[in-house]
Amino acid sequence: MSSLNSHPDESALDLLFRAYRDACPAPEPSPQFMPRLWQRIEARQRYSSFFGRVARRFVTAGVALSLGMALYLAVPTSYSSLFTSESYVEALAGGRAADALDLELLHSDPFPVD
Amino acid sequence: MLVDFELIKRAQAGDDAAFSEIVLAYRKRILGTIARLIARPEDVEDVAQEVFLRLYFSLEQLRTAEVFEPWLYRLTVNAGYDYLRKQKRRMESRMSDLSEQQVMMADAAAGGRVDLEDQQQARTRELVDSLLDSVSEADRILLTLKEVEGLSLKELEKVYQVNENALKVRLFRARQRVLKAFGANRKNPHPKDAAKAEI
Repeated sequence: MSSLNSHPDESALDLLFRAYRDACPAPEPSPQFMPRLWQRIEARQRYSSFFGRVARRFVTAGVALSLGMALYLAVPTSYSSLFTSESYVEALAGGRAADALDLELLHSDPFPVD
Repeated sequence: MLVDFELIKRAQAGDDAAFSEIVLAYRKRILGTIARLIARPEDVEDVAQEVFLRLYFSLEQLRTAEVFEPWLYRLTVNAGYDYLRKQKRRMESRMSDLSEQQVMMADAAAGGRVDLEDQQQARTRELVDSLLDSVSEADRILLTLKEVEGLSLKELEKVYQVNENALKVRLFRARQRVLKAFGANRKNPHPKDAAKAEI
């Protein structure tokens, strides 16, 4: 790409980049490089396993809570269904009958004059 | 490749000795690349360890051992980029924030202990660092990999996983910005001194 450019500064910039490479030689690793690296790896492993354990506990607690809620919601329904065995149509019919009784009482004279 | 595929596969399978061998084979190269990417010698080792740390925890995601080197370069680029972004956030120019090397250079220059070649190299580093500061961190890394590290466009394609044309456009733009800063620097090499002189 550099060869395509004709700007007078282009070649000077290329030379400068090359000189920069020579001016920045690769540093020698310190004797502590590997021990420190393994320390960091082990620290990260401990950290992630700790959070993994915490996350697993949260999931377990969540599942237990969900089951508890489900049981709580399911039990009263089944419990009440033991006592109310009538169907919806039957309940509706019963309600109508009660309404009719109310209407009858409303139209009847509470103090009949003989 | 500095290591064979078998060693990479062993490291992927959880063999720590194999992983250590990989680190030993590549650490000098990675240290050199990072030294040129971040230009702060005292932090080079720390960033290099971060690269190998990321390598350790992501090695199992590597599908084929053949793409190991571009993969390692990508990790290096990402770690360098993260470091440069953090550095940019605390850009106050305090003496305590100067790199150890800069402080040593300043001390040595004051004592007259730095020879001519070292001074020339220090000036080159300072100039290129200031030129690379004129572009974004992402462009700085791309330019360093291409112009200083000497990676080919094909190699960069594998590292960045983008097509050659997109890379060419990005490189051209970054280079133009650096050239502009370079031109300005050549016209006025010490703007601060000039400003002081005017006052």
